[in-house]
Amino acid sequence: MIKLKNIHKSFGRQQVLKGIDLTVQKGEVVVILGPSGSGKTTLLRCVNYLEKPGDGEILIGDYHLNCRHAGKKEIHALRQKSAMVFQQYNLFRHKTAVENVMEGLLVVKKLSKEEAYRRSAELLEKVGLGSRLDAYPSQLSGGQQQRVGIARALALEPEVILFDEPTSALDPELVGEVLEVIRRIAAEGITMIVVTHEIGFARDVANHIVFMDGGVIVEEGSPAEVLSRPKEERTRQFLKRITPEPNYSI
Amino acid sequence: MGAPFDLSFIFRFFPKLLDTLGLTLLIVAGSLAAGIFAGFLVALPRMYNVPVLKRFSQVYVSFFRGTPILIQLFLFYYGLPEILKLAGIDISKAPVLFFVIITYGLNTGAFLSETIRASVTAVNRGQIEAAYAVGMTGYQAFSRIVWPQALAVAVPVFSNVVLALLKDTSLAFTLGVMELTGKAQTLGALTQHFVEAYISLALIYLVISLVLERLLKLAERRLLRHEQPVSTGGGRFRLWFRLPRARSYRQLIADANAGKGGAEL
Repeated sequence: MIKLKNIHKSFGRQQVLKGIDLTVQKGEVVVILGPSGSGKTTLLRCVNYLEKPGDGEILIGDYHLNCRHAGKKEIHALRQKSAMVFQQYNLFRHKTAVENVMEGLLVVKKLSKEEAYRRSAELLEKVGLGSRLDAYPSQLSGGQQQRVGIARALALEPEVILFDEPTSALDPELVGEVLEVIRRIAAEGITMIVVTHEIGFARDVANHIVFMDGGVIVEEGSPAEVLSRPKEERTRQFLKRITPEPNYSI
Repeated sequence: MGAPFDLSFIFRFFPKLLDTLGLTLLIVAGSLAAGIFAGFLVALPRMYNVPVLKRFSQVYVSFFRGTPILIQLFLFYYGLPEILKLAGIDISKAPVLFFVIITYGLNTGAFLSETIRASVTAVNRGQIEAAYAVGMTGYQAFSRIVWPQALAVAVPVFSNVVLALLKDTSLAFTLGVMELTGKAQTLGALTQHFVEAYISLALIYLVISLVLERLLKLAERRLLRHEQPVSTGGGRFRLWFRLPRARSYRQLIADANAGKGGAEL
């Protein structure tokens, strides 16, 4: 289980997160929606301390961290509990696909080379890249790179995988293959927090949807509740904007 | 100047000059080692924005980049013992080579520090974040992710610095070091065949430069192999020889499991 309590974050004088509380059950897929600048990516990055929250508490699995007393050691321990898939993939460019996945297993989990290789190859097979193990990121398409990124996250067997707009940088025709992989691993019961703009994906895959705006959670609930019968005016407006009603005729 | 031109002297000078090649290369290697160390030390406060040290490293870099290396040699050789004498340390008996390597090392360090700083910042922030997200420590992220890539970016500038250093060592003779140029001067004076000595000398510098350039080019290609498109081989540059290809993990595993059947390559 993941629990965020009263997370605050400011950049300079601008308050980006104004006290966020969020609970994610084990095996749940939580999708965070919201207009740009609403703080959703910042919130996600606070979970693994790529952004340092000003105040609040983070609980992942059995690890509890109070953001007021977070030293290097605590942050390092917290990061071992999660993995992240980035918008820009952020693969290690000097390493092949399989080496990218192996890296965490070798350096952080201290597996043997053979074991790390075996598991990494297996995972790449699973995301449909079994034939591209030795390709460098520069030789892979965006969709393929992102799938390597997903395999890299899966390899660590974290409590939760954080997806930061995983399809926003992709060409439209490549979005499908990446969403399909995420859908598949979601079905396996891996806990995920996903920031995305893909409403269709949220409707299909999410157990729980969180709508954020202006640094607060405006509304949350099941996809049916939030997407089909939003209670708040701001949610309605947002949904209207990204899924415009057909107002044309042929 | 001296005796009439005689082509045969050029060839006769070669072996004599080559005797001192070792010393020249020693100066180059020693200065490079000292330079990389100094360059790193000076680049760090600028990369991490350490207030006072940053200022200090800027002054260091401007001094060594803004004054002729000949003057730097004189300042260190004649000046340093005087200054240290005030502090009660006597280094007037230290070998000339010591001063030469210190000066060239610090000079090279000034140029390299800029390169190191630029190369490290050239590795995008996202990969460092990814390393942290995977659970690496700051040191692991630097040594395994940033450093190898920064090195590759740095090689072209690094080769320039190395070649400049090689040629700069020719000034060491002004302090009486018997390296390549010093030897050529002496041979010229002895035989009065100055021009032949200089031609011979120039050829030797040229050949070393070309060899160093090739080696560094190879190092660059090797370090940047991850940025090359799928089809390698051929290409614009024809290499003198091929480096053995990095053995893939596939091969490693296949070897490790030898006899257990079935690993396809």
